[in-house]
Amino acid sequence: MPLRGVSLVLLLVAWLPLSSLAALSDSLFDAANKLYEEGKFAEAAAAYESLVQSRQVSAALYFNFGNAWFKSRQIGRAIAAYRQAEQITPRDPDLRANLQFARNQTPAPTLSPSRWQRWLGRLTLNEWTVLAAVALWLYLLLLAILQWRPNLRLVLRTYVLALAVLTALLCACAAAALCGTQFTRAAIVFAPETTVHYGPLAESPAAFTVHDGAELRVLDQKDEWLQVTAGPRRTGWLRRDQTIPLSSKAPSRT
Amino acid sequence: MRRLLLWVKFNTRRRCPAGLRCLFALVLSLLLGAVPSCLLAASFTATLDRETISVGESATLTLKFEGGEPKAMPTPPPLPNLQITGEGSSRNISIVNGRMSASILQNFALTPTQPGVYNIPALRAEIDRQVLTTPPLKLTAVKAGAAAADSDGEKLAFFKLFVPRKEVYVGEVLGVEFQVFVREGLANAENILQSFDQYGGCPLKAEGVSILKTAHAQRRRMRSGNSVYGVATLVTSLSPIKTGPLTLGSMDVNLAVQIPLPNQRRRDQFDPFGIFNQVQVQERRVALSAEPETLTVLPLPKDNVPANFNGAVGSFSLTLSAGPTNVAVGDPITVKVQISGQGAFDALTLPEQSAWSGFKTYPPTTKVDTTDALGLQGTKTFEQVVVPQSADIKTLPAISFSFFDPEQKSYRTLTQPPVALIVRPAGSTPVPTVVNATTRVGQDNPPPTQDIVHIKPRLGMLAELAPPLVQQSWFLALQAVPVLAWLSAVIWRRRADQLANNPRLRRRRQVAQVLRQGLGELRRHAAENKSDDFFATLFRLLQEQLGERLDLPASAITEAVIEEHLRPRGVPEAALTTLHALFQTCNLARYAPIKSSQELAAIIPKFEATLSDLQGVKL
Repeated sequence: MPLRGVSLVLLLVAWLPLSSLAALSDSLFDAANKLYEEGKFAEAAAAYESLVQSRQVSAALYFNFGNAWFKSRQIGRAIAAYRQAEQITPRDPDLRANLQFARNQTPAPTLSPSRWQRWLGRLTLNEWTVLAAVALWLYLLLLAILQWRPNLRLVLRTYVLALAVLTALLCACAAAALCGTQFTRAAIVFAPETTVHYGPLAESPAAFTVHDGAELRVLDQKDEWLQVTAGPRRTGWLRRDQTIPLSSKAPSRT
Repeated sequence: MRRLLLWVKFNTRRRCPAGLRCLFALVLSLLLGAVPSCLLAASFTATLDRETISVGESATLTLKFEGGEPKAMPTPPPLPNLQITGEGSSRNISIVNGRMSASILQNFALTPTQPGVYNIPALRAEIDRQVLTTPPLKLTAVKAGAAAADSDGEKLAFFKLFVPRKEVYVGEVLGVEFQVFVREGLANAENILQSFDQYGGCPLKAEGVSILKTAHAQRRRMRSGNSVYGVATLVTSLSPIKTGPLTLGSMDVNLAVQIPLPNQRRRDQFDPFGIFNQVQVQERRVALSAEPETLTVLPLPKDNVPANFNGAVGSFSLTLSAGPTNVAVGDPITVKVQISGQGAFDALTLPEQSAWSGFKTYPPTTKVDTTDALGLQGTKTFEQVVVPQSADIKTLPAISFSFFDPEQKSYRTLTQPPVALIVRPAGSTPVPTVVNATTRVGQDNPPPTQDIVHIKPRLGMLAELAPPLVQQSWFLALQAVPVLAWLSAVIWRRRADQLANNPRLRRRRQVAQVLRQGLGELRRHAAENKSDDFFATLFRLLQEQLGERLDLPASAITEAVIEEHLRPRGVPEAALTTLHALFQTCNLARYAPIKSSQELAAIIPKFEATLSDLQGVKL
């Protein structure tokens, strides 16, 4: 009985901060929404940003954050927020519409996702990982069952083969998603207009110009410079402080 | 179809006999008479092989008559300080597929004696009662450059600057030739020319100009005075940046020239054919520098300057294209402006288009494609993204570009007409479900989006920023579970298969199990004082154990196996004695089964010790 009481208290102690934090986040979120509805988009963006910095985030928070930046004519920051939201709810139609709308405002050159990347992006990295893990579990358990009951080998042979192929495909997709989100660094330009140089020096000749919202792939970095590419024959060096790096940490639901 | 190509070439110099000339004229007239007159459209052209020469050099003026013979051969009029010498005429006749063409060439050597520009007026000739005129020609004579002369006064090598014009405008691009003359016959003439052909720098010295690019022209042979020279030419493009007189000089070079000595191939007794004999030369060092040239740089006129003139000087043309032309408000349109012609393309910029107020514009990207080595001729392409801000926009306004044309000495403005646009009142993005959820019902084509989807009212499920599952150690460790399960199953299956394939091992395990159960039965029978059951079980257990150890059927085991099988295999004597005792006790109990529980229980430890001894012996 005393043990059960202690457990209950510990649970309450653990739950109270979480519940109070959630309530606080809700109230801050509502206040930021109010600023947005009043047309104070820059203030709303700052309020959403303070919530984001608390590391307790949600898809709606990033979505509204992106909207506030978009209304403040900060296309690059808006796209960055939408892409963060995309890591939580990649299939949200509202999010996809706003992201596409923001991308349409960005002049070339910018990297647009390929058809394969768009297909892969319909699931988050964690979703791909779980799917691959479940398939792997099923496959290995099926193999274990066949060790236990060898006489089922003929009956289950088709299932084993199908499950092996499915597992391999899902593992490949998970690996591609991992490569695309973790090992491929991306940066989004938020300066209105930025010159990409041929070398990591301000004195280097200009290669091309990118604009607010341009999505670039980061190839290398040196000091305060990033080597970026916006497509074939569009590679150069850009100042790091004119871009937003896309976070490699995926928000996981609590 | 048979093709007949026949070239007949007659060189009839004026010094040829008159009779022979008449014969050629007769043959020519016969041939011409055989050709339909419609194929003989007469033409008369005059050309100079070079437009600029040094004083003392000769340029060749060629008069060409096609389709007929002139009634009288025209000659250039005498000009002051210009010697004109006839160099004879030649006639060409060709017949191709039955079509004949004939031409007459008359050459004159023009030799200026003073520097300056010589205008050769238009020449007239009458051919077949048709009067033809050539355009006037211009020959420029410049001073000869500083030179190094040999003992006979002939120049060994010299530099020369050739400036095509003496008056240029600020910002105009000019190609200046730096010519290196090296007399043929010098032992290292080829090396000197080659080194200039490979020279990568700018050979000019000047202030107040912007040096753009230097290229190499094809090497030539030229006659100057009584000598023939190999000429390497470096062409540099430059653009004056300030007005007033401008002096162009060349680099100073100290050259070592090698003059072959006369009678150099002296034979000796060891090299009678002169194979190993080196050319003997006299080396002389000469300091070379071109005669400076002075240009007058004129300012651009201040009258009639177009409003959008941004400093472009040259001769250009303008083209415009835009796409897509059917867009929604906010969609980007790529405007492609191409400026082609001759001028300084690097400095060329697209002027601000004030008529584009209804568009959000972005700075253009540029690309230059030049067609000559100096980069003076080509096309500069501007690609600019403009975004219509209103659905009322119907056209992309006209675009204009102004520049100063130095040839016409006036400003010119090029204008491209407006491009018709269809601007829809909304963007082309997919329709967001929230905004259009009610309006989409019953519509095949949902209305386009005008704005982003509104903010969400609820915070929703909170998530914490964390590394993805695949990078979390607990998740990776969890994946070991199915792997371990599968490995366990594999190991179990192998052990089972091994057991199935080994009957002795299987019997040993079965006997061990029987013994475990039998010992329990023995204790229970002893406790219940069931003497018959006790000894029956004891005898059965002995048979099972001995049968397993000796690999014999349990039913075949009697006391006799002790002497027959166990003793020969080295079983300890104590164990044999105990076994004998146990067998005899079992036999006695069949006839005198009077035993107490204590006596029965006392037998069990002995039995267990015997089992232990038997299991420990390797049989």
